[in-house]
Amino acid sequence: MNDMRIVRKDVDMNDTKISAKKVQVFYGETHAIKDVDVEIKDKTVTAFIGPSGCGKSTFLRCLNRMNDTIDICRVEGNILLDGEDIYDKRVDPVQLRAKVGMVFQRPNPFPKSIYDNIAYGPRIHGLAKNKADLDEIVEKALRRGAIWDEVKDRLDAPGTGLSGGQQQRLCIARAVATEPEVLLMDEPCSALDPIATLQVEELIDELRENFSVVIVTHSMQQAARVSQKTAFFHLGNLVEYGDTEQIFTNPHDERTESYITGRIG
Amino acid sequence: MSDFTADNGPAKGDAKSSLFHETTRTKRRNAAEARFKAYGIAAIATGLFFLVALLVAILGNGLPAFKQTFVTIPVELTEAKLDKSGNRNPEELAKVSTFGYKPVVTDALIAALKAEGIEIPFAKEKDVEDILSASVAAQVRDTVLANPDLIGETVEFRLLASSRVDGYFKGRVTRDALARDKNLDAEHLDVADAMVAAGLMKTTFNADFIFGADASESRPEQAGIGVSMVGSLFMMIVVLALALPIGVAASIYLEEFAPQNKWTDLIEVNISNLAAVPSIVFGILGLAVFIQIAHLPQSAPLVGGLVLTLMTLPTIIISTRASLKAVPPSIRDAALGVGASKMQSVFHHVLPLAMPGILTGTIIGLAQALGETAPLLLIGMVGFIASNMPDGIASGFIDPNSAMPAQIYEWAKRADPAYYERAWGGIIILLVFLMTMNIIAVLLRRRFERRW
Repeated sequence: MNDMRIVRKDVDMNDTKISAKKVQVFYGETHAIKDVDVEIKDKTVTAFIGPSGCGKSTFLRCLNRMNDTIDICRVEGNILLDGEDIYDKRVDPVQLRAKVGMVFQRPNPFPKSIYDNIAYGPRIHGLAKNKADLDEIVEKALRRGAIWDEVKDRLDAPGTGLSGGQQQRLCIARAVATEPEVLLMDEPCSALDPIATLQVEELIDELRENFSVVIVTHSMQQAARVSQKTAFFHLGNLVEYGDTEQIFTNPHDERTESYITGRIG
Repeated sequence: MSDFTADNGPAKGDAKSSLFHETTRTKRRNAAEARFKAYGIAAIATGLFFLVALLVAILGNGLPAFKQTFVTIPVELTEAKLDKSGNRNPEELAKVSTFGYKPVVTDALIAALKAEGIEIPFAKEKDVEDILSASVAAQVRDTVLANPDLIGETVEFRLLASSRVDGYFKGRVTRDALARDKNLDAEHLDVADAMVAAGLMKTTFNADFIFGADASESRPEQAGIGVSMVGSLFMMIVVLALALPIGVAASIYLEEFAPQNKWTDLIEVNISNLAAVPSIVFGILGLAVFIQIAHLPQSAPLVGGLVLTLMTLPTIIISTRASLKAVPPSIRDAALGVGASKMQSVFHHVLPLAMPGILTGTIIGLAQALGETAPLLLIGMVGFIASNMPDGIASGFIDPNSAMPAQIYEWAKRADPAYYERAWGGIIILLVFLMTMNIIAVLLRRRFERRW
């Protein structure tokens, strides 16, 4: 892996997928996210970087309303998915999460078979008409998750019996099985070794063809390797947001520069 | 312990200390550790000693209750006494009471003794009948009524010996003690010894103790725990059918759905407190609410089950919540992340994973309820003779019955030492049930234990 290699892939002027305006997040009295404005493009990998506790994961979890499960969490401002406010009263978070899938920091397969792990989402959303349909969906998802070849002979084996990297790819496959439009990834490689990380990163690059991917990462190298857009968060503020190449080579903000050169964070 | 005083350590500038030489500090530390280990072993030894003492006492006192002395003699069912009309009309047969049967049995005993050449050392030969239990006339009568064709024949009967005779063979009754006892004389024991020698009398395993019904105060030899066991069974059915669904629903709501606020905090504190409320409080509550206000039948397993449900609920709720909490949040996240609703995430993922814990808690709650006595005293499940098996399922729930611990309490209260022995025997049966339930709980936990 060439550290700090900037991915020079065409950054098209894709359509905006998610548009956040003046987003504020409070945990009880704590003001965790302040005035964040960001436009996330379709078919693009967007990386959120920043030191621990800067609010990047919190903001990510706002995008599919996972913060709803935390009682004391309060979100203000607007987050639009394809122009629709996801915090509108009429929006059912369950429907939203089918459109905006999520992969978590630690691989968290269900303690069920590999097949059932993937089939669970399509089943509850009624995506498959019959068993053959479902088999097809499972195979497609596992192929997209770049894990099909490793597990095709043991789909009945428990998902928890796989290695860490395999489990994470299984979780990615599970997330794409419901055909979401946006895929949120919360530090997906932080529990993985370098080889598994490489596999997951390659996978993320492939997923870009079909999804809009938002990834939170601690590793600046990773952000540089996989993303086309990068947002730098610091102390709850979105400090700088732009093309990855620009952020890493020519940051406008002093704090961004300090962070990527290793002086803060 | 003053591990922090440094003055005993090797002083600075000492010649190099050897690793082979223990410093004073190390010695003291090691001594403290050795002392602590000794305390621990002593504590365990004390516990074991009490356990062994308890087991020895229970087995020593209770095992004799499983054996009983029987007299086996041929009884001539004389038609002249039992069916004067001779037409075997069941109604007329039923008119002959146990008083009519008594002489038949007594005559049979005297005849059997004479046939074996055993001397009857009483002025009135009839007095020898005290060797037999007061229940034998009823036993013979029941047999005859069930099968009238036996009249006129000589049938071999296995009759209960009286509890004093039985106690004599178990070492509970001595000849000295009989001097102060109006029920039996030492001469009876001579006859009994002779009967054993002749093979007419034998002490054997008594299944009626396990499956039979309670008996009146004067007939301990006849009493069994079977009916109250059925009472306990019906109570446990009520407890399981009510406490499990209510408890699990309450815990799921509190743990997964309820908002965190003052009200849920209050409920939580109250549930924990309920678990510590003495069971007799639940008993008087049951008496007031279920019997006096709701007018449910007294002494019924249904009411007992309701009271025990109240008592078991906190246990089930607490253990269910603990096992729900033990399911890692990442599983809930995963389910929500693929678009499952809250309820789907709970019922598809969290609940199945928590199930072994819930079942274990339920079984332990049931075991607790099974051994509970105090509330049953207040709703009247003691103090009468549970003499018949319930007649069908509805009767099992609403007809007066007792429960195993209440029956044991009742026996322990009675004056006759023969009942004392039966109380211990009942405890053995109760403990066997409780141990079985606990073993099932442990096996369930082992079998389904999961690691994440």
